[in-house]
Amino acid sequence: MRQFFGMSQSGNLNEAVSGLTNPQLILLMSNSSQFEAHVKRLEELYPRVPSIGCIGMSYDTKVVEKGVGVIAFCDGVTAAANVLEEVSVMPVKYIERLERDVRDINSSNTNTVCIDFCAGNDACVLTTVYSVLKQRGISLVGGTGDGGKVSANGRVYKDAVAYALVKNNSGRVKAYKENIYHPMGRYRFIASRTDKANYILGELNGVPAKKVYQDILHITEQEIQTQTFKNPFGKINGDDICIISIQEVCGNALKCFRQVNDSDVLILLELGNYRQIVKRTIQMIRSDFPKISAVFSVNCLFRYLLFSENHYMEEYLREMSALGNHAGLVGYGEHYNNRFVNQSMTCVVFE
Amino acid sequence: MNFKKKEKVDKSLYPVLYVIKSLKEYHGTLVQGEVDSLKELSMVSKSFGNVLQESEKFKGTLENFEQTFSNIDSVSGQFASVKEDISQSVDKAQGEVEELKNSSILVESYFVEMQKTFQVFQESLHEIKGCMSKIVSIADQTNILSLNASIEAARAGEQGKGFSVVAGEVKSLSDEIKNLAAMVDSSILDVEHGADELNNSIHISHQALEESLSRVNETYETFESITKAAEGAGTVQSDISQVIDNSRVELQSVCSFFENLKDGYQEVIRHINTASKMGTTKSAMFEDIDNMLSQIPPVVEDYNQ
Repeated sequence: MRQFFGMSQSGNLNEAVSGLTNPQLILLMSNSSQFEAHVKRLEELYPRVPSIGCIGMSYDTKVVEKGVGVIAFCDGVTAAANVLEEVSVMPVKYIERLERDVRDINSSNTNTVCIDFCAGNDACVLTTVYSVLKQRGISLVGGTGDGGKVSANGRVYKDAVAYALVKNNSGRVKAYKENIYHPMGRYRFIASRTDKANYILGELNGVPAKKVYQDILHITEQEIQTQTFKNPFGKINGDDICIISIQEVCGNALKCFRQVNDSDVLILLELGNYRQIVKRTIQMIRSDFPKISAVFSVNCLFRYLLFSENHYMEEYLREMSALGNHAGLVGYGEHYNNRFVNQSMTCVVFE
Repeated sequence: MNFKKKEKVDKSLYPVLYVIKSLKEYHGTLVQGEVDSLKELSMVSKSFGNVLQESEKFKGTLENFEQTFSNIDSVSGQFASVKEDISQSVDKAQGEVEELKNSSILVESYFVEMQKTFQVFQESLHEIKGCMSKIVSIADQTNILSLNASIEAARAGEQGKGFSVVAGEVKSLSDEIKNLAAMVDSSILDVEHGADELNNSIHISHQALEESLSRVNETYETFESITKAAEGAGTVQSDISQVIDNSRVELQSVCSFFENLKDGYQEVIRHINTASKMGTTKSAMFEDIDNMLSQIPPVVEDYNQ
C-alpha cells in the first residue's frame, strides 16, 4: 500500500490533493470555516471514493494548523467509509451499517483497522463501534474532531462518528497507543459522585476531587487547568492506563475531557521523559514491522502544545517520519480500540 | 389507524423500557457495590501492607538475634583465649614450681650432708672433750707428782731446793694446763651450746624445708586443678558454642518460616493485585454496559415516533 499526504497552509484543497491519483480512501482534515466546502469539493474531485473528514489540524513532517490536509491510501487496500449518526444519544441505531461494512470488507484481525473521526460522546461511540469490531478482532484508531461535525463520503454530519475500515491487502496492520506519563507516587483513588454526562469527577476516595488534586500537588485553584499538562489522571483498566485530562474546576469537583464513572480506579500521573518514550515506541514498531508502508497517527492537542512549547514537535515529526510515510491528525481526544483517552498518541502501522 | 398502531407499539415496548429502567437500577447498585468492594480491597491491600511491614520488622528483629548470637559466640570465644592464657601461665608457674621443688630437694640433700658433717663434728668434739679430760687428768697426776716431788725435795733439804723449784714449776705448768683445759672445756661447752643451737636451727630449717616441699607439691596440685578448671571453662565455651549453633539452626528455621510466610504474603498480594486489576476492568465493563443501556430508551422512543 501507499500513503499520500497533501496539504495547503492556506486552505486550498486543490493544492492539497495535487498529485493524488486513484486513491482508495481519503481522510480530510480541514478548518472550521472551509470544512463543508472542502467536503463537497473533495467529493467532486474523487466521486465514489470512500472518505471521512473532520475539523482539525493535520501533519506529516510539519503541522497544518489552519489550512487543509489530505491523507489518502492508495494501492493494495480495500476500504469502506460510513457514519453512525445521533451519537449523543443512540449510535447503536445505525450499527447495522458497520456490521454490513465489516462483513463486506471480509476483514481479519491482522490486516484491517478501523479509523474513526468522532463529533462527541466518544466513550459511548467507542463502546458501540467496538462491540462490532471485537467480533473480528479489528483494531480501532481515531480521534475527536472540532466543531461537532464530521464528514463521510462527501456529506457533512453533525452529532456523528465517521468511520473507515481499511484492509491492507499486502500485509499486516497493528494499532499502538503511546503514553508519555507514568504513575506518580502510590496514589490510588476510587472515583465517586461522578456525572458522566458532563465529565464531572466529584470525589476521590470520598474526598472532593479538587481538594485531593490541590493537596497532593500543592497548587492553587487557578493552576489546576495548566497542571494537567504535567499531572493528568490515569484510569486503570487492567494493565492499561487511560489518561484523563482536567478541563476546569467545577465547584469542589473537576470537569474532565473524558467521562469518569463511579467505581473507576484512578491514579495520578506525571510527565515522563517523552523523548525517550517516543524512541521506545519507534523501536517497538520497528521490531514489530521490518517493512513499513505507512503510519497514520492521532496526536492529542495537549501533546502538540506541550511538544511545541518545548521545541520538540518538529523533531518528533521527523523521528516518526523516519519510520516510513507518517501522517496524522491533531485530535481533541484519542481512540484506541474501545478506549477513549486524552493526552495520548494512537497510531496504526501498515506493513 | 396510525394512532391505534402507535398505542399498540407503546403498549408492547413499555415492558422493554421497564426492564431497561430496572437494569439501570441494578447497574447502579452493582456499581455502588463495586465501589464498596474496591474500597474494601484497597483497605485489605493497605492492611496487608502493614502486616508485611510488621513481618519485615519482626524478621529484622530475628536478624538482630543472629547478631546477638554472633556477639555471644565472639565473647564466649574469648574463654578460649583466657583458657589459653591461664594454661600458659599455669605451665610457666608449674615450671617454676618444679624448679623450686628441685632446688628444695637439692637443699634438702645439702641439709642431710650438713647433718652428717655436724654429727662428725659433734663426735670430734666429744673426742676433744675426752682428750681434754685426759689432759686434765694428766695435769692432775702431774700436779700430784710435782707435789710429791716438792715433798721429796723438802726432805732432801738444800740439795732438793732446785728440784723443789722444778717441781713448783711443773705444778705451775700443770695448773696452767688445767686452766687451759678448763678454758678449752669452757670453749667446748660454748661450741657444744652453739652446735646444739645450730643443730636445732638445722633441724627447724629442715622441717621448714620439708613443709615448703609439701607446700610446693600442694601448689603443683593446685596448678593442676587450675589447669583442669581452665579446661572446664573450655568445655563450657564449647557447650555455649554448641547451644549457639543449635539456636542458630532454630533461628534459621524461624527465618525460613518467615521467608516462606513472605512468599505466601507475596502470593496474597499478587491475588489482591489481580483482584484489584479485575475490579478496574470491571469498571470499564460497567462503562460499556452503561453506554449500551443508555441508548435503549432513545431507541425505543425513536421507534415509537
